[in-house]
Amino acid sequence: MPRYFGRLGAGVLLAAMLAGVLALWTNLAADAETCLSPFVKRLNRPEKFLYVFCLDAHAKNHDFLAVVDVDMDSPKYGRLLYKLDLGSSGNETHHFGFTDDRSHIWGCSLFSSRLFLIDVASNPAEPKLVKVLEDVPATTGLTGPHSAYALPGRMLFSFLGGRDGDTPAGLAEFTNDGKFIRRLDLPSDAPYMYDVAVKPELNRMVTSSFTPPANYKKPMAQMDFKHFGKELLVWDFRKRQILDRLTMGAAPLECRWSLKEAANHGFTNCALDDSVWMWQGDENGRYTSRKLFSTGKLPADLRQSPDDRFLYVSCFMSNEIQQWDVSDLEHPKLTSTVVPGVQPNMMHVTGDGKRMYITNSLLSTLDHAGTFWVRLAHIGPDGVKMDPFFHVKLNDIAGGPARGHDMLLY
Amino acid sequence: MLTFVLFAAMLGAGGEQGSSRLAVIDRAADFSLTSQDEKTVRLADLRGKVLLVSFIFTTCNGACPATTHRMCQVQGALKARGLLRDQRVHLLSITLDPARDTPAVLKAYMQLYDCDPESWTFLTGSPERVNKVIKEWGMWARAAANGQLDHPSRVFLVDPRGRIREIYNLQFLKAAWVVEDVGLLLRESR
Repeated sequence: MPRYFGRLGAGVLLAAMLAGVLALWTNLAADAETCLSPFVKRLNRPEKFLYVFCLDAHAKNHDFLAVVDVDMDSPKYGRLLYKLDLGSSGNETHHFGFTDDRSHIWGCSLFSSRLFLIDVASNPAEPKLVKVLEDVPATTGLTGPHSAYALPGRMLFSFLGGRDGDTPAGLAEFTNDGKFIRRLDLPSDAPYMYDVAVKPELNRMVTSSFTPPANYKKPMAQMDFKHFGKELLVWDFRKRQILDRLTMGAAPLECRWSLKEAANHGFTNCALDDSVWMWQGDENGRYTSRKLFSTGKLPADLRQSPDDRFLYVSCFMSNEIQQWDVSDLEHPKLTSTVVPGVQPNMMHVTGDGKRMYITNSLLSTLDHAGTFWVRLAHIGPDGVKMDPFFHVKLNDIAGGPARGHDMLLY
Repeated sequence: MLTFVLFAAMLGAGGEQGSSRLAVIDRAADFSLTSQDEKTVRLADLRGKVLLVSFIFTTCNGACPATTHRMCQVQGALKARGLLRDQRVHLLSITLDPARDTPAVLKAYMQLYDCDPESWTFLTGSPERVNKVIKEWGMWARAAANGQLDHPSRVFLVDPRGRIREIYNLQFLKAAWVVEDVGLLLRESR
């Protein structure tokens, strides 16, 4: 380097290099896995293990975490490798989420309100149950934990009910190792909760609505379908304060921010409205909502492609998964439909956008299928196609049958 | 580079939380480590200050350079706002690789990144001592296949009472937000 370059020149060069590293690092994160908290460390290689959060189909045997081999180079590819016994039954194990460093998974139980802390980093093929939080309602004043959402160095949980199992619902923060930090309350005129999603660069968080444990624990014929929310709340994330209240279709479930950096809109599947809605922020900081498109019956899950082009909707009651092109938000287009089996529900799209794992249990009080499975679809230029060979039969496993719900990759 | 140590004390239900938007997350674990100038630095001796703490290692080719660079921007922003003037705010960077990161190595690293030692200290120590600190702060460092160390990228904000009040993710660490949070903790402690 020429001597005249000097200290100033070296500093400028270093700053430029660092900016490049940061930009590259940020872009790598943006092209990777979707539908995880943005604070979770991304998987920078093809997946090896698929974790499936399972409950015993008859609520008699213990619920468990299934580990499926999804390493395409493995001789055991497509097989169930391990079952982590969670030590209790009847939990309605539902959603789970990584800690920010991806070393642990927190699992939520809709019926028992237990929270399970699972170590997946020490031995990803055989995760270990580290801790079970049994006294969550007493500690938080909330029941029915649903979403386990990573924040930096801690977790944010959405809860579907208050202490007595009815509304108002709420949110609670815990340290990564399970110490309660604080509760966030909801207003009395928007007391429902379901999912949560943060857009850190905008300092915004959204929460959605379902129904409380007192209602969803009942058999479907006895549920009060007027006791479901339709609000989406927009929060100032750093202040944890509600800024806006939007009306969506009935039962807006998953919250999916657009993946484009600083894009101020997102999507949610309205399960009792058979539709996908979107929220949109404007330059004055105000938000509006509108219906984006109609779906098949009971859109139970919503996923995104890494390039922000496609939305995937599982239609629980019409047995189909739809792929929608939303690159033009004024003219969303249905581009592919696939039928993986009866009542498809949870989906998990890989970081390269080419594979989608699928399970088919929604809630034990709502399921109507007798056969439960984990299947795989391939996503390509000609849409979504089922893999005819990948089929983990959850009815046939030892101690089975089991209902599989949420999935994570390692 | 600015390293702030941010401690937020954890509040149990109805405990120390108060009405601050920055929750008390946990008590910051104490330590006694060695600075780039070979002086002993104890966390307890920094009580009364707002601290920003990062964990890095000098041979990192991943997130650590970006962390240090971002902290440097924060140090500059704090200086511009006059918040470093009365020494109530200090930055700390603790090594994740004590075997390699000796005081001299840390000193050279600070010079490379233009970290102002007036309000920023880099820390190392014996591997036993440093590894204990890493663990007690909920951090970890594991050998990766490429010869580097894999580790979380968190920056901690600690209040003058030694409590962790915020934890930042590197990707979303904005100097303006850190300055805002530091300002809030300083006002709360008056």
